[in-house]
Amino acid sequence: MNTLMRWIGIAVVIFIAAPLVIVVPMSFSTAASLQFPPPGYSWGYYQQFFSDPSWLRPAWNSIYIATMNTLLTMALVVPATFALVRHKFWGKSFANLMMMMPMAVPHIVMAVGYYSYFGELKLVHSKLGVILAHTCLSVPITFLVLSANLKGFDLTLERAARSLGATPGQVFRHITLPILKPGLAISALFAFIQSFDETVVAIFISGRDAETLPRKMFDSIREEADPVIAVISTLLFAVVFAGLIAPSLIKGLRRMAKGTPSK
Amino acid sequence: MTIKKTHNALIRPNRRLFLQGTAALAGASALAAPSIGRAQSKELYINSWGGPWLEAATENLFTPFTEATGIKVNTVSPVSFAKLAAQVRTGVYEFDVTTLGGGDIVAANNAGLLEPLEEPYPGGLFQNGVGSHAFATMMAWRTDKGWDETPQSWADFWDVERFPGGRSLQRYPARVLPLALLADGVAPEDLYPLDIDRAFAKLDEIKEHVRVWWTGGAQSTQILRDGEVDMIGIWHGRYFEAEDAGAPVAFTWNQAELDSAYWVVAKETPNMEAAKMFVDFATSAEPLAGFVAQANYGAMNPAADAFIPDSAKPRMPTAPGNVEMTFEQDMLNFGADPQEVAMRFDEWLAS
Amino acid sequence: MGLSLSALAERKTLWPWLLLAPLTIYLALFFLVPLVEVALMSVTEPRPGLANYEKVLTGSLYRKVFLNTFGTALLVTLCCLLVGYPLAYLMSTVSKRAAMGILLLITMSFWTSFLVRTYAWMVLLGNNGPVVWLMQTLGIAEPPPLLFTRFSSTLAMVHILAPYMIMNIYTVMQKIDPSLIRSAESMGAYGKSLFRHIYLPLTAPGIANGSVLVFVICLGFYVTPVLLGSPREQMAAGLIGNQIEQFLAFGLGSAMSIVLLVVTLVILGIYHRRFGLDKLYG
Repeated sequence: MNTLMRWIGIAVVIFIAAPLVIVVPMSFSTAASLQFPPPGYSWGYYQQFFSDPSWLRPAWNSIYIATMNTLLTMALVVPATFALVRHKFWGKSFANLMMMMPMAVPHIVMAVGYYSYFGELKLVHSKLGVILAHTCLSVPITFLVLSANLKGFDLTLERAARSLGATPGQVFRHITLPILKPGLAISALFAFIQSFDETVVAIFISGRDAETLPRKMFDSIREEADPVIAVISTLLFAVVFAGLIAPSLIKGLRRMAKGTPSK
Repeated sequence: MTIKKTHNALIRPNRRLFLQGTAALAGASALAAPSIGRAQSKELYINSWGGPWLEAATENLFTPFTEATGIKVNTVSPVSFAKLAAQVRTGVYEFDVTTLGGGDIVAANNAGLLEPLEEPYPGGLFQNGVGSHAFATMMAWRTDKGWDETPQSWADFWDVERFPGGRSLQRYPARVLPLALLADGVAPEDLYPLDIDRAFAKLDEIKEHVRVWWTGGAQSTQILRDGEVDMIGIWHGRYFEAEDAGAPVAFTWNQAELDSAYWVVAKETPNMEAAKMFVDFATSAEPLAGFVAQANYGAMNPAADAFIPDSAKPRMPTAPGNVEMTFEQDMLNFGADPQEVAMRFDEWLAS
Repeated sequence: MGLSLSALAERKTLWPWLLLAPLTIYLALFFLVPLVEVALMSVTEPRPGLANYEKVLTGSLYRKVFLNTFGTALLVTLCCLLVGYPLAYLMSTVSKRAAMGILLLITMSFWTSFLVRTYAWMVLLGNNGPVVWLMQTLGIAEPPPLLFTRFSSTLAMVHILAPYMIMNIYTVMQKIDPSLIRSAESMGAYGKSLFRHIYLPLTAPGIANGSVLVFVICLGFYVTPVLLGSPREQMAAGLIGNQIEQFLAFGLGSAMSIVLLVVTLVILGIYHRRFGLDKLYG
């Protein structure tokens, strides 16, 4: 039983790793089609990606939209999360549920709604429209991450500061904010990624001037299985890899730095 | 207007046509020059079919148009009839100009989605679209399947005993239903109005063998080139793309389905003047000739023929020798409401 | 009512709601209104009435698509469980270092855009891809078509959703005290009975969490079935998209959306009552 489970487990590791590994060699392929193993290797599709405005424009759009989405989401969610974590008040469970609702609705349903509603508001095919929609969808995950951080916050620190004569503003600036910084950063990152990866709503409302990278990728996969997708996939994958590896690398460096005797 | 009629004239180019072509060209540039200042916007958004279409259009239509008028051309894709309808409905325009096939232009015009245009060359206006080029949906197949015979007709496409393997057709009933009827033994001249029920009954037979209902031209090239399917109903330009890529493929002009593409201007688009200028330019003799010669289409403006080199003709569905084997769509005599048929087709697909 | 109004007037309630006000207004405008619009369209487009719902709930096509959606979601959930449980088990038994490695891999998979993963499956299962090549090398001359089938879309969805399941199960499995297992073994429990009486009950919350999550996400899945699936086995979201994009049939698409939404909310509602929605994402 145990050994069987273990072997299945190892097979699953391969199953999970294979699709992540395969896009890398594909991106260096010389073939015009989905041929594996590639007949030859080159930088050709990378050059194509970095010189083709029809790929670069969506990439910049996505970065812009995700950034604006993050700012807007944080501006709305941070005060709301403080209210929910720090206070007991009438209607709290309703407010809690409200924050979670956008996660419960399938994106295709929201896409239909936005397609029609933003059509009336003349917001389809505009970056603003995508930002407004993505912000709704980013609320739950940002709230979850931030409230988990905020719950672990030791209130006695603030109380101590206030008892020493600090004003509420000073307490926030010198105590609350520095301690919460990592939590804020992580929840902002979640908001950013949620928007950067969001596909379904973008397919329906992002249009010509606001086309996002996932939408462009979706169209491209559906229309032609363009090998340039492998390049983007590899680049996105590299970013994720770097993002996950970097913290442990930094930790390792710090440890090394500590280990070296100072002169 | 029918393609064959224009092409009978086209096959024997004469002096009169040549003069007409020159006049059309002169007209286009005369129109273009003074209107630079009048254009509301220096940008124009054109709906693109991508691939070889886009390459040929960029080189022969977009770039020369920008040089002549200073109006920048941007493209958006994919081509979608529903998008045209949606943007007129919402008033938010994704593109100003698009090309529609015969199947969509009648519906679009009936729905009031198209800006009224003037006839740019004799017989050039159809349902508020200006005739641009003819293209074919033809049968192509992989030659590496080890079949004993060579497929000849749509009846062979349906014959999965003699020609086993995966099939693919366009997810577009206006083009697919006539093929089913041909496979069922209907003569090309008796196709229209279509016997819709009979066509669906015939489609039932092939349904489980159709692995991909392609929705984009590039996709059809890819699945044929990579051998995802073994036999396909494909646009001729897209087929040649796969052939030129070295894929083991072959095709026949026999029973190829001729369709026409028309330039249309989206109703009440903000870039109306630039859009109309572009349509005139794109259907005038010399730009059109360059476009069709590069992408292997058949020009619908007869004046363009004078500028088309003979070397380009073997790959044109409308060239003599090819056109005789083809048949033509007749959307005005379709036999049912195309939108309803499209709905039924989609439900049929999923069921 | 009077009581709660006076309570609202107190600073205690007023201040939190002031903090919540911008978000509440925002969600009302850009989340609730579009949803209400979907509901409205479902009973007004193209004509007022319940005709759309009649069609969606009784039409054979729609019934088939909804059944197929449920079937696929169930299948994917089951596969995720079959895939996720052994892996979580593996992670909780190997060395800490190896567990970290696997965790890194799963996290990486989770963070990699699912479009990228969908595309990767297209490469893997394509006619010129490694799987077909492997089959041919093993002597299968005519490998069955893999791409654009129910198989390919299910496989890809399992791959995309498995991390949700694995993380949920791993979290609870990690907490199982190894001494508990040892003492159970010392009392003669092994193999099947160890699994049934110790592992299964202790990991049940993780299984429940992961299953609900995977099932619900799968119900509304649009991209992967559209790109990889067979046209004959559409899922609800794909059909909704088609109704809107191809036919501008806003009424029908909206009615299907509402049905999908109600089903999703009922499942999540039951879950919420028992466990609380905020537990779902751990």
